Amino acid sequence: MNRLIKLSFFCGTLLFTYACTNLDEVLEDELTTQFSDNGVTVIEGATSGGVLPSGNLTGSYNGIRNGSAGHGSFFSVQTVSSDEMAIGQKGGDWFDGGIWLQMHRHTFDAAHPALNDTWNNAYGGIGQTNLALAGTLSPNEAAQARVIRAFQHFRLMDLFGRIKIITASGVDAPQTSRLAAFNFVESELLAVLGITAVSSTMDLSSSALGTEAQPYVVNQYAALSLLTKLYLNAEVYSGTARFNEADIAATYVIDNGPYMLSTASFSVPNLAKRPEVATDPVNLTGYAAIFAPNNQFNPEMIWSIYYDAVSAGGMNFSQMNFHYSTQLTYALDAQPWNGYQVLEEFYNSYEATDIRKEANFLVGAQTDFAGNALLDFAADDPNLVVDYTPAISELQPNSPRESGARAKKFSFQLFGRPEMNNDYPIFRLGDLHLMRGEAKARAAGNWNLSLPDVNAIRNRAGLTPLGTITADIFFAERGKEMFQETSRRTDLIRFGKWGNSWWEKTNSDAYRTIFPIPFAQIQAVGSGLTQNPGY
Amino acid sequence: MKIKLFKSLLLAGAFLCFGYTQAQEVSGTISDANGPLPGASVLVKGTTNGTQTDFDGNYKIGNVGANATLVISYIGYKTQQVVVGGQSTISVTLEDDAQALDEIVVVGYGTQVRKEITSAITSVSVEDFNQGVINDATSLLQGKVAGLSIYNKGGNPNANPTIRLRGISTIGGNTEPLVVIDGVLGQSLSNVDPSDIENITVLKDGSAAAIYGTRGSSGVILVTTKSGKNGQPFSVSYNGQYSLSTKANEIETMNREQFLAIGGTDLGADTNWRDEVTRTALTTVHNVAAVGGTDDANYRVSVNFRDAEGVLVNSGFNQFNARTKLSGKMLNDKLKIDFNSALTQRDSEFGFEEALRYAVLYNPTAPILAADAPFVFNGPQFGNYFETLGLFDSFNPVSIAEQNQNFGTTTTVNYSIDFKYTFTNNFSANLNIGQQNVKIQNRQYYPTTSFFRGNALSPFRKGRADFYTQENRNQVLELYGNWSKTISDKLSLSATGGYSFQENDFNEYYLQLGDFPPGVDFNFSDNIEVSQDLLEAGRVAANSGRNDDDRIIAFFGKVNATFDNAIYFDASIRREGSSRFGSDNQWGLFPSVSVGVDANKYLELPNVNLLKARLGYGVTGATPGGVGLSQTNFNVLNGSDGFGPSATGLGTRKPNETLGWEEKQELNLGFEFAMDRFSATLDFYNRDIQDFIQEIPIDAATNDGFSSQFQNAGKINTKGIELAANYDVLKSETINYNTGIIFSTYRSKLTENVGGDRTIANLGAPGQNGTNVILVREGEQIGQIWGPVFSGNVDANGSPILVDVNGDGNLITDQGSALNEDVDFAVLGNGIPDFELGWTNQLTIGKWDINAFFRGAFGHSLVNNFRAFYEPRIGSQSSYNFVNTSLARDDIRTAQFSSYYVEKADFIRLDNLSVGYNFDINNNYIKNIRLSLAGQNLFTITNYTGADPEPSLQDFGAVDNGGARSLTPNVLAPGIDRRYNYFTATTFTLGLNVNF
Repeated sequence: MNRLIKLSFFCGTLLFTYACTNLDEVLEDELTTQFSDNGVTVIEGATSGGVLPSGNLTGSYNGIRNGSAGHGSFFSVQTVSSDEMAIGQKGGDWFDGGIWLQMHRHTFDAAHPALNDTWNNAYGGIGQTNLALAGTLSPNEAAQARVIRAFQHFRLMDLFGRIKIITASGVDAPQTSRLAAFNFVESELLAVLGITAVSSTMDLSSSALGTEAQPYVVNQYAALSLLTKLYLNAEVYSGTARFNEADIAATYVIDNGPYMLSTASFSVPNLAKRPEVATDPVNLTGYAAIFAPNNQFNPEMIWSIYYDAVSAGGMNFSQMNFHYSTQLTYALDAQPWNGYQVLEEFYNSYEATDIRKEANFLVGAQTDFAGNALLDFAADDPNLVVDYTPAISELQPNSPRESGARAKKFSFQLFGRPEMNNDYPIFRLGDLHLMRGEAKARAAGNWNLSLPDVNAIRNRAGLTPLGTITADIFFAERGKEMFQETSRRTDLIRFGKWGNSWWEKTNSDAYRTIFPIPFAQIQAVGSGLTQNPGY
Repeated sequence: MKIKLFKSLLLAGAFLCFGYTQAQEVSGTISDANGPLPGASVLVKGTTNGTQTDFDGNYKIGNVGANATLVISYIGYKTQQVVVGGQSTISVTLEDDAQALDEIVVVGYGTQVRKEITSAITSVSVEDFNQGVINDATSLLQGKVAGLSIYNKGGNPNANPTIRLRGISTIGGNTEPLVVIDGVLGQSLSNVDPSDIENITVLKDGSAAAIYGTRGSSGVILVTTKSGKNGQPFSVSYNGQYSLSTKANEIETMNREQFLAIGGTDLGADTNWRDEVTRTALTTVHNVAAVGGTDDANYRVSVNFRDAEGVLVNSGFNQFNARTKLSGKMLNDKLKIDFNSALTQRDSEFGFEEALRYAVLYNPTAPILAADAPFVFNGPQFGNYFETLGLFDSFNPVSIAEQNQNFGTTTTVNYSIDFKYTFTNNFSANLNIGQQNVKIQNRQYYPTTSFFRGNALSPFRKGRADFYTQENRNQVLELYGNWSKTISDKLSLSATGGYSFQENDFNEYYLQLGDFPPGVDFNFSDNIEVSQDLLEAGRVAANSGRNDDDRIIAFFGKVNATFDNAIYFDASIRREGSSRFGSDNQWGLFPSVSVGVDANKYLELPNVNLLKARLGYGVTGATPGGVGLSQTNFNVLNGSDGFGPSATGLGTRKPNETLGWEEKQELNLGFEFAMDRFSATLDFYNRDIQDFIQEIPIDAATNDGFSSQFQNAGKINTKGIELAANYDVLKSETINYNTGIIFSTYRSKLTENVGGDRTIANLGAPGQNGTNVILVREGEQIGQIWGPVFSGNVDANGSPILVDVNGDGNLITDQGSALNEDVDFAVLGNGIPDFELGWTNQLTIGKWDINAFFRGAFGHSLVNNFRAFYEPRIGSQSSYNFVNTSLARDDIRTAQFSSYYVEKADFIRLDNLSVGYNFDINNNYIKNIRLSLAGQNLFTITNYTGADPEPSLQDFGAVDNGGARSLTPNVLAPGIDRRYNYFTATTFTLGLNVNF
């Protein structure tokens, strides 16, 4: 028995000395070191492929994906505040404390959660890019990273005006003026293009950026497209018009880039073709092909965000837009949420023969996977058939469940998952044409100078060319082409229409062209951020 | 063991005060009202000369002086002194000591005599536990300890109650008290069958808990299991309980006629959905225990079987538990070994709480079965159940409950062994080693015909199986020494010092996959290789985690001093380190000091046994809720299809290398008063929690988009009062009536809120996202419900007209403006009760005993989610059902959260009423039999219109459309009665107790 005691005390002592004060923490299930691997580039398959960015930049590109085509962040802020779409309160559904009614009516406040999410997503993307830039990158990769970072700052500057310019992970920077942010974005883009200014004689040969048509990888044309957009809006951002430079940059892309408009000669298989429904087209052609689930090889794409149901989630339009029952039309994985409705006036702005009207919207009586009438047993109208009507009787409190055309521009596929496969354009050739036309017109003060570009786009849409054009007509043309591409808010502001009244929205004050700095950010310890005027 | 210890101390003390004797022998029998008492102590006063009674209560003691006095004592009885005066036979009958001032109470690393305790400690023994079927140990105490709130909303037998001691004590750390079972820390209460518990002691204030350092902030619960006694004859006892439960309260909804009258969609049938998914639940409990002992060893072995059904169909559990407890002495009684082990295997059927939720909002005219559908309906696709397709968040409750499976097995094994070696009469040392392994294996299966999570609607990818396995290993080693000495008549001292090591190893994995072949009635969760998800990228969800070497190491010491048997002093200190902190901040220091004075010793008030005042101060700490918060991690970003690039990006959190201990400082002033028939304890406390570990907003721009980080930030102050009083109204041979009341109240204020004002607790979909109803604001109370105020009037659209609270003529009630200065929101209530009450009544008449226990909480409010979502007469709701409480108004036709859905939930409840009868058999086979009948939750008086007015002390977040609720509760959001809360149950239990 003495042995037992001795043994136990001995064991105790052993444990005591061995582990007495050892408190090292090892995280078995988390990576605490970095790595990157470029993998193998594979070009195959229906919905993915193309040249993906190098492993070093995976995080930087992923950062742009967050919120760009989903609910509750950048896409929602940019779209619901415009005259494209609204989220009506459907009885007990979608009131959400009034935050989407506020967004539509321009009565939003600093505490709006979507504004905070937008802010966090952008700075998260900037953080990923700064992390990449702090590592070892090739000159081409570093140039790409700087463009991505400039793009994130561009979005923030466009939305919030007075932002922080963050160029190193974890290093604070003061809140700057909108002009300083504008200058930062411009200087970064010029630097990676190897030029000091955009001019008709500029030589991009010293730029580390490539020139190949690889829409997931930033090249010279992507950087110039961003400069085009920056200069086109320069008067809004900096007080000084820069339309000439916008014209030159866009022209450079159109003339030298390996891109062409996606016209009737370009088509992809329609992945939403129901086997038993003869009226479903076999292929998607031209304009519709640009936004299809299998749009990764579209010739118009200059820079796009890679979305994939499996590896790159974040595009959720089927969920956001459709009535619950439309799940059965496409045999979708999950029940949709019945949220976003297209404003009737916007839908009606399309001419009947405009092929974009069919491509962009879902209206009328719906059918199920087999082509039979699609029923809603809980219909709040006398008709059980799901029937999307362009007219919406009210925004709140009882916006009818089946009212409003539904956006289907980024079209769907049978058996689709909540995460969609369609790539989302940041810049495409059609946009460049319209930006160039507008820049030329504004530079010379003559809207007719935009006609060649506008008519190129109208032609693709199956419409007759215009002989003369005004600012308002140009604005409508741009709207019809760029629907659902998060361009509308910026356009409304540039055309001085943001404060106008439209359906279920009265005039709004000029200060609302810039969103409030999110309340949570101002509250955060040591942020030093101050609120924008008016809020 | 504690009796032994007491005896040893007594003997040790006696040895020291060696006295003078004359030769005489005295013998006799010591008994109590029920017969001879084995093990009672007989001591010659002022000497070390003492003995114990044998099995039959007899004693014999030599060397007794003619003028000596015998001191006869036994735990739980009043000590008697008898002058020998030449007698050779002295027999004494000891009286019960109702006030039990000499009772030995288990405290941190030792025991203490009750009257010497200087901190706020409440001890509840088996005879005072709640009656009826009690499936978890803490529920034995519900309403019995002032300041200890135990709430189990609804009657889910698989749910653990929420426990709070003196309110919220930490935000990021462990919010539930530390459990110490038979001296071993960190073991699971679920491995202790309630039938095996002898005593539960709750260390309430900082000075009592500080010896446990880190984990002491939320209080400490010390559980002592039943054990054998040395010299006890072998005996067997049986306890059986047979109970029936039915659902008690439920929230009112419309029946078919009411629903159609308001324009509801008629689907042709008349179904009471809640009756369809509930049942009368039968529970049986069997407990068999054998005890016995020899001169130097004793043992207790017990087995417990529990077969519990929930009122929700297909819910409940089946549990087997075995416990062994051995204690023995050797080496001339110098070495004492205590061995404990327990095994519990619980097979649970968790059922689906969603069935209860959807039973409230499902169309009352909908048929259960597809065959009764009012239109053509593809029944076989949905397992022959009807479904209202095309609705958001609507599933046939009966189909949920009957088609799907949600079950699991939890196996808990633990052992502990304690070696105590007595080196000298003054010094002993303990080595305590314990280990516990818990393995949880849970599964869910949704067949291809289940609309709920089984994807039956879709033409493909039907069926789903989930698997979750978790294993936790916990090891404890503690080594400590005890020294005690009686310095003089007036002063005795004791000291304890030691080392504690605790390590937790954890691993888990999860797998979810589906797409099983439809059209076959087969449980594919037993055959997952047929899953088509295995053939398609990204369909299988899988994850795993591991965390080993999660350690807490501590050095501790304490001293007790007693002056003049009336002034008591205690102090303790613990230096503790945790691997969860950054390397510079791993160690913390937790001191305590307390003092108590029995004033009656000097005042000598008539009929007063005790008048004690005590004051204690202690510091405790809390560790973060998770590991790795101080370390940088990186996320892996995988390329597409397995071919593309992969790399690391920013991690999942912003690390904080300087994260350190959270501290709670508590000052407690207590008074204890005891007369023969009346006793009372009154405590006042003030606790300041600082540097609490909390996720606080940080500047996203500077921090790579991370908008929050765990930091030591903020302060909470809680002040409270607790009162416990007990009175023997009647006390006689045949009739005894005792009544007791406990009362507690506290206020918690957020004195410093580093993270900034914010609103939390989102009501959720449908339609109430972004509707945060709890206000977190510096300088204000915790748990304030915040929102617009309903004027009582409704406009033409059916929208409630809200009040312009600030009277500025501008009505601002959007959630996005919730924190603006001009917002028209008000504090609509508070989720934390103003005060809580427990009222016990024990009546004994001859062989009958009757217990009645009332419990209540007052002043708290609840956000009635069922009403907020489903009571407005919204057009689109006409395909669901409408909630139809007494507060319902047909003119409100929009869902707008307001004060109208925040209800005061004061209640008083007859929690427990039991009647028992004792049969004295005393034949060769059976000693006695006790029969009892108990009712639980018999009635509730409340104005609350929801199912259960019990406070909801924390929030698990919103859930919609088949999603699952959060695993980590938000303790800053009390007062939310979510749509997943269970129905309450009323239970009747027949109990049979036989001692062989």
